[in-house]
Amino acid sequence: MRPACKNREYLRHIMSFTLLVLIVLGPATPFLPLAVEAKVDLVTLPERDRVQMTIYNTADLTLIREVRRLTLRHGMNRLQFGWANTLIDPTSVSLRALRNPDKVALLDVTFPPRTKGVAEWNIDSGIAGEEPVEITFFTSGISWSAFYLATLTPDEGAMDLDGYVRVTNRSGEDYANAQTRLLVGKINLIDRIIDLAKRAYPYGRPAEIAVRPTAPPEAKVRLEEAERVMMKVAREAEKRPKEIIKEALSEYFLYTIEGTETIPNGWGKRLPSFKQSGIPIVSLYKCDEKRWGNQVRRFLQFKNDKDHKMGNEPLPGGLVKVFRRIDEKAHLSYEGADTTRYIPIGEKVELDLGEARDVRVRPVLIEFRTDNFTFNHRGDLSGWDEHRSFRVEVSNFRFIPVKVEIWRHFGTAHWDLVNSGDYGLYEKLDLKTGKYSLELPPNTKKVFTYKLTTHHGQRAD
Amino acid sequence: MKRIKLGLVILTFLCLVATNAQGRIKLVALPDRDVTIIRLDNPDASLVEEERVLTLQKGVNKVDFSWKGVRIDPDSIRLRVLSHPEAVQLLSVSFPPKEAALVWEIASPEGWEERVRISYLLSGIDRLVEYRARTEKDEKNLILNAYMILRNFSGEAFEKARVFLNSAKAFERTIRNEETKRMLFLTAGPIPITKTYTWDATVKPHDPDKVSKTVGIPVHYVIENKVSHGLGKSALWAGKARIFQDDGQGTTIFIGEDRAAFTPVGDRMELYIGDTREIKVTQRKMFEKKMNIRRNNRNAIVLYDTDELFTVKVENFKKEPVTITIIEYIPGQWDVEKANFKYAKETANRIRFLIPVRAHGSETLSFHYHRRNVR
Repeated sequence: MRPACKNREYLRHIMSFTLLVLIVLGPATPFLPLAVEAKVDLVTLPERDRVQMTIYNTADLTLIREVRRLTLRHGMNRLQFGWANTLIDPTSVSLRALRNPDKVALLDVTFPPRTKGVAEWNIDSGIAGEEPVEITFFTSGISWSAFYLATLTPDEGAMDLDGYVRVTNRSGEDYANAQTRLLVGKINLIDRIIDLAKRAYPYGRPAEIAVRPTAPPEAKVRLEEAERVMMKVAREAEKRPKEIIKEALSEYFLYTIEGTETIPNGWGKRLPSFKQSGIPIVSLYKCDEKRWGNQVRRFLQFKNDKDHKMGNEPLPGGLVKVFRRIDEKAHLSYEGADTTRYIPIGEKVELDLGEARDVRVRPVLIEFRTDNFTFNHRGDLSGWDEHRSFRVEVSNFRFIPVKVEIWRHFGTAHWDLVNSGDYGLYEKLDLKTGKYSLELPPNTKKVFTYKLTTHHGQRAD
Repeated sequence: MKRIKLGLVILTFLCLVATNAQGRIKLVALPDRDVTIIRLDNPDASLVEEERVLTLQKGVNKVDFSWKGVRIDPDSIRLRVLSHPEAVQLLSVSFPPKEAALVWEIASPEGWEERVRISYLLSGIDRLVEYRARTEKDEKNLILNAYMILRNFSGEAFEKARVFLNSAKAFERTIRNEETKRMLFLTAGPIPITKTYTWDATVKPHDPDKVSKTVGIPVHYVIENKVSHGLGKSALWAGKARIFQDDGQGTTIFIGEDRAAFTPVGDRMELYIGDTREIKVTQRKMFEKKMNIRRNNRNAIVLYDTDELFTVKVENFKKEPVTITIIEYIPGQWDVEKANFKYAKETANRIRFLIPVRAHGSETLSFHYHRRNVR
């Protein structure tokens, strides 16, 4: 006799928090009773053999792929898959036979009436016996983000950069010994997975208005159990950091973490992604009244390329905390933090460390005059020129050489410019903007002037 | 959960005797549905056709058809006699007050079994179409699976109904009320993919360095509904498409989803899969001046042309060459002085450049034009 009652009890117990797959043998009969207990003639409850998670960072989406061994019999098999109390998108659930895809035909998937979190597959099997199947689905609630720790050398000429990835699981489901992959990229999504997971009916009702987005629930953490799992995994883990293999796919990057990870619901985990020391950096200071007013902003500039000992992988956007070693004993000072954008291989990186106090840019208007007036037929003023002379004083009070970039906005497309003095490199950025780039040795000052003539009214024609 | 009922009322000859004493006589026999067909080829309305066998008496028979709790469009109900179409006649249809029902009057020359087909438009039952595509790792081809999702919230259950999405293929299924079923109806491929990158000057920021997040350039897959491209047998319905890519590890990654538009045979389907951040586009207006100025007697400008120059720098951080589409808009009348890349005029005011950029390289489009006769 089958221990059906015992199994049912077990089933009810785990239903509250875990995915389950069970097989119903026998022909798929219509109008099955609806209560879960009564529904099944439970034979096997296969465990997951393998689990793979692909976690996305620009959308609340994780692709889960699990392999389970089903025992099929010849002919019609009904397989039930349940996911109560999780954040799984029911429309994404799919199944594929791995060993005999030609002999195991999936006839359809049914989402039974008045039942949430259950799908039934009707499978026509040409084989009898064990068949590994792959079940894939999307879940909400698992996320990852990049995090960086940067350490400047005392002279700020170079930097060590440690990259990390942090994975957080709030999906309502534990994932043990899962191959973990992180996807860097911006995919197009037309529905949020959390909204799909919370629909009353998997595909909604005909002519139904879309459900209102809701915030993901706070995960219930079962601490003791999770800790036990974590401890077990920790004991089994090797004594070296795991490697993360990075590969470009389509427009995205796929990070595959070596081995498997166990991330119980409610837990987060930080893993080292890369480590690079001695990245040459430029201390760059920027002055742009349009963006920052009178402030001078401090930036650390380098490039994600081979010349900068980088360029193996893109840098996903994330928080960067910047420190500086201040002495021989490697004591640190905190320099600031920035949230970077995504940096592709070969692109420049500029970490914004905020307002600078020890590099100063002071543009001063030293002369103003007007001339070349024109008048219309009524004798009213119709055009004129304005002449301005600016003196720009750039001071580096730091003990290191710095690069300074100064944006100047001319307010009109009709201007002439004459530069003089120590202005470094001048570049016309667009029809209303110019940029000066200067390099200043430690504790030095540079002064330059520019004469700007702007044409107004008829003088601009 | 059967709510649609068909009752056969034997209009006895008693009527002839007691002419004034006749009320509406309720069901006598309840013939079961024999064959049920649900047609979902019109996305706006679902057509149900059901066949039943009536036992007709000689003379006039009343057949009662009711649908309490089910949303049938009463005007759409049709009855077709199948066994003896020449002999059996539908005399009238009457609608009893305040009831979701109708009564057919059918005249039969003999007492016999008559197969009839009743058809009607039913609300609350429809279908969605969903696509799942799996692309090869190199994104040259994809395999397309199309699914029909039958949603039955009509209030009625159907036993062993034949469900048609188009005339080609039927699924025989038992469908319960409030049930949703997903069925694979098409697998096609390999279908060649054309991948496009598009930067539109009216949509994307011109200076990506001044935006806090990396600006993504939309990436589309274009497939053609043609026999030579592994499709072309029928139109592709509109529906959500989810695209997966072979990751070279024996598994797949999800690379994006979009709403596919209805695509007739011969047409192309364009799917926006996501944004690439491996291409950077910076547009700058470098020059603008009035020229060919015409003035009136009072020396005011009444007509002029412009002299304008744009530069668009495209940087490719990918290790493969790409070709990007740049869309620009110029209002009014205009002509080009000089452009260092070829362009196509899509409309009077919209032009399209195709700019090939080598791997890890950059190109700068320089576009010098005049707007004419600006007033």
